Amino acid sequence: MNVIVNKFKKMGYKHVSLYAVIALCFVLSVIFVHHNYSFYERPIAKVIKTNLENTTELNDMYQNEDRLFTQSIIAEIQNGEEKGKLIHLKNEYSSSGAFDQEYRVGNDLFVSIDTKTKENSELTGTIKDVKRDKFVLIVAWVFILTLLIVGKKQGLLSIISLAVNAILLSYALDFYLNTSNIGLVLICSISIILFTVFSLLLVNGFNEKTYAAVIATLLGTFLSLLIAYLVMWLTSEKGLRYEEMQFITRPYKMVFLAGLFIGSLGAVMDIAITMSSSIFGLYEKNNHISVKALKTSGLEIGKDIMGTMTNILFFAYISGSIPMIILYLKNDSALGFTLSMNLTLELARALAGGIGIVLTIPIGLYVSIFFINRKRER
Amino acid sequence: MNVLVLLAFILFILMILIGGKKGARSFFALFLNFGVLLFTIIFMTNPYIDPYIVTLIACTVISYINLFFINEVNSTTKTAFISTIITIVIVLFFIVIVTENAMIQGFGEEEIEELSVFSLYIGVDFVKIGASVIIMSTIGAIIDTAMAIASPMREMHHHHPSISKKELFTFGLSIGRDILGTSTNTLFFAFFGGYLALLIWFKDLSYSVGEIVNSKIFSAEMITIFCAGTGVALIIPITALITAYFLVKKGENKEKAI
Repeated sequence: MNVIVNKFKKMGYKHVSLYAVIALCFVLSVIFVHHNYSFYERPIAKVIKTNLENTTELNDMYQNEDRLFTQSIIAEIQNGEEKGKLIHLKNEYSSSGAFDQEYRVGNDLFVSIDTKTKENSELTGTIKDVKRDKFVLIVAWVFILTLLIVGKKQGLLSIISLAVNAILLSYALDFYLNTSNIGLVLICSISIILFTVFSLLLVNGFNEKTYAAVIATLLGTFLSLLIAYLVMWLTSEKGLRYEEMQFITRPYKMVFLAGLFIGSLGAVMDIAITMSSSIFGLYEKNNHISVKALKTSGLEIGKDIMGTMTNILFFAYISGSIPMIILYLKNDSALGFTLSMNLTLELARALAGGIGIVLTIPIGLYVSIFFINRKRER
Repeated sequence: MNVLVLLAFILFILMILIGGKKGARSFFALFLNFGVLLFTIIFMTNPYIDPYIVTLIACTVISYINLFFINEVNSTTKTAFISTIITIVIVLFFIVIVTENAMIQGFGEEEIEELSVFSLYIGVDFVKIGASVIIMSTIGAIIDTAMAIASPMREMHHHHPSISKKELFTFGLSIGRDILGTSTNTLFFAFFGGYLALLIWFKDLSYSVGEIVNSKIFSAEMITIFCAGTGVALIIPITALITAYFLVKKGENKEKAI
């Protein structure tokens, strides 16, 4: 105990109060999310008893074996006029659980109450969805705390930068939806400039290193978008299956291009800042280093990071399609058809992002050298 | 000509121009990774094989390719490899707990309409596959971060062989902190680029905040982003610790030998 107290004394007042604020936020938000039923308009019911009624073996037309279960649930309504009353629900679920799941005691469910039964004390209804906000919150806190513990001040800065970027993106999309005459790609271009300037300044501060990285990022992303666009124009988009795109309420080609644009930005930024900080680092260590030596070292560093960075994008994009591909394959679709239906857009995104990453290496190198040369002349 | 072929060709040319032999290896590694991913998916369609085991094996193979094939077998890549595997096991435990409770597996309400032609009762466990998907989307970033920390730590030890374990560990942590922001940013933008259509959809159909947060698709994607970020943060102390331990121990052995 004494050790802890001494540690707190060492940390100083500012730190302790910061930790206290974070702990308070954590506790308050967890309490809130477990008791926020009255903020929802849809009725929510908490499962208090489940009973497995029957089990059937199932063979679908492709000889996939599965099991269907029927569950009767008694739950307590948590909000609205019927608060406190019990409701009887039925749930049918399979052991694969592609679109259904077993409910357990303690789960919160969004339900719709059958109007006919409202007069009686025993209500019946149907399950609409699961209340997932508390899980999202807990995972978010695990993320925030890990970042803070590992990264300390830099962790806090990265959280701030992520939050501000998310808010910026949300505003940019609102702006796009409200003013339909401005193109999505144009709005994304403007937001990309804001994202880049903000994220890099926040992490690195106002200095030439940051300016070089900002310029390299912007040149790299815009150049890669231009290449992707030219390639799509040259090949008249042969081989891209837009029909796999989900959730489309707007012109799909623009949505795809804008997504490609934003998706590669983070990776390009990463490359740009790595290039500029290492080249400036070399220059600061030795002010008389020749441009040729800078170029050689810069390219060496570039070679090292190029492969792993393209891999980040590759896995982040492709992995999301795994469940859909499995569904296609288990429904007897041919492998070639399944892949072309599910992966062409993701692959195009990953490849275009890769092009952006590789292009940013020489761009970052030359922009940094340009800034160093300017510094030398002064 | 096909868009993908042309894009791949341009990427190949650029990688060779800038990276030379190593660039060619990096490009080839992309294909190997794609192959591993395909095999993983095919194994996952078999309901009798546990997806977690498939995922762990796939992650090991992918780390092996990206560390030892693109680079070479040396103390940096070895410690990066060990750290990656340890982190993946830890993160996988966490993700498994989350996916089994949050019910984010499979497909959302918004997707189910267009899937009506498919049989959904296909016998594979979508909860486990959901957890695998999250791990697989993070593996690239975890490997990258491990490498980015282990490599300068080895340089440091090389230039200052007398450095203590603790100093080396602190050095690794400080490097990790510097790259933490950009690594999380990379993942964040990559995911948001992919979810752009979904975000526009939510806004166009004027979902309320409550509906968005609780919908299966959105919560699944937020959880993916957070788990990915946690993985990238977690690999930093793990790599710093393991690399410091191995490098200093190796140094001690050398001294004893002399």
